[in-house]
Amino acid sequence: MCMWCERYGEGFERWYLNPANYARRLYKIRKEEIEAAGAESNPQAAGGMLGVGRDFQEARDRGDTETVERLRKAAHDFSWTIHFGQVVTLEDVHQILEFMYPIGLMTCACRRSMRGLPDNENFTCIGMGPGMYKWERWADTYRGGLNFLTPDEAKEVIDTLNMRGLVHCLYTFGTPYLGGLCNCDYPDCGGLRTVLDMDVRVVWKGHHIAEVDTEACTGCALCPKRCQFGALNFSSSALKAYIDPMKCFGCGLCRNVCKPDAIRMVDRATLPTVANVW
Amino acid sequence: MLPTILVDDDKCPDPLGCRKCLLACPTRVLGLGTNVAPKKYRETEPGNFIVRGVRFQACTACMKCVEICPNGAIQVALGVPA
Repeated sequence: MCMWCERYGEGFERWYLNPANYARRLYKIRKEEIEAAGAESNPQAAGGMLGVGRDFQEARDRGDTETVERLRKAAHDFSWTIHFGQVVTLEDVHQILEFMYPIGLMTCACRRSMRGLPDNENFTCIGMGPGMYKWERWADTYRGGLNFLTPDEAKEVIDTLNMRGLVHCLYTFGTPYLGGLCNCDYPDCGGLRTVLDMDVRVVWKGHHIAEVDTEACTGCALCPKRCQFGALNFSSSALKAYIDPMKCFGCGLCRNVCKPDAIRMVDRATLPTVANVW
Repeated sequence: MLPTILVDDDKCPDPLGCRKCLLACPTRVLGLGTNVAPKKYRETEPGNFIVRGVRFQACTACMKCVEICPNGAIQVALGVPA
């Protein structure tokens, strides 16, 4: 079972469907922690959007497994307490947008850090909840300003971003407070870079796994380029899509372009050997 | 051995406006950050943005960032400089 559902689900089907995890009370607790942390709390100054530093990369480079594991554990402890993400499907996002308020479309800090993307080209990130009321106070965090959206407008934006091939990830800001709905892709997302390049799990896999119905798959090969995780390949001999369930993050992007409806999202919990692969 | 990437901030006055190195890097090794914490009611000044090597393990030492920088602010070296 998902550790976060266990801790913060409170009877809801998933922890991120529990409205309490978007509540203001949690936001206030987190604010004190962050202000105490000072300049280091600025993720751009602290790590350039990577959850680990050069020491981790050097230890990896020289094959020092012990140091790698120690630093990985420290990175996990920090990220899972302060700021980590979990991949969610389009349906889950729609559900969240129904009860989340307010919803603010803002600029993506990762793409600014990775490419210096100008604000007017960079409105791909969604902030949610009471934190949005701080946008004027923290002009640099909300660089480019904030567009408040109705749930229907937000769904339209999300659908467009999904068609563009961006993966939806929910992010905590002081766990379990959920305040961000990122729309991510490799190589520009700091979170995806950290989990895929470094195997440091600042982004958790989602609650689903995509499964191909090989009878229904026509081999059109539209889906493989949608996968950000290297989980979906096109088998050149079978002429069908092939999904590695161990690598699948369950974002559902492949399924959303499958015309014959040959990909379905299976609940991770129903597959015993991957039920705890996050 | 991971490459070392050095940026001379004095030669890099406005990396967010310039961003040539960020775009030239084929694997997004470089990161744009700030050397100050965010301030209330104010955006960070252009001069407080900095470029640093971040994802060293993805650097092929192709030198594209070094070549494209109009001010010669970036150095990439294999191994630790003396």
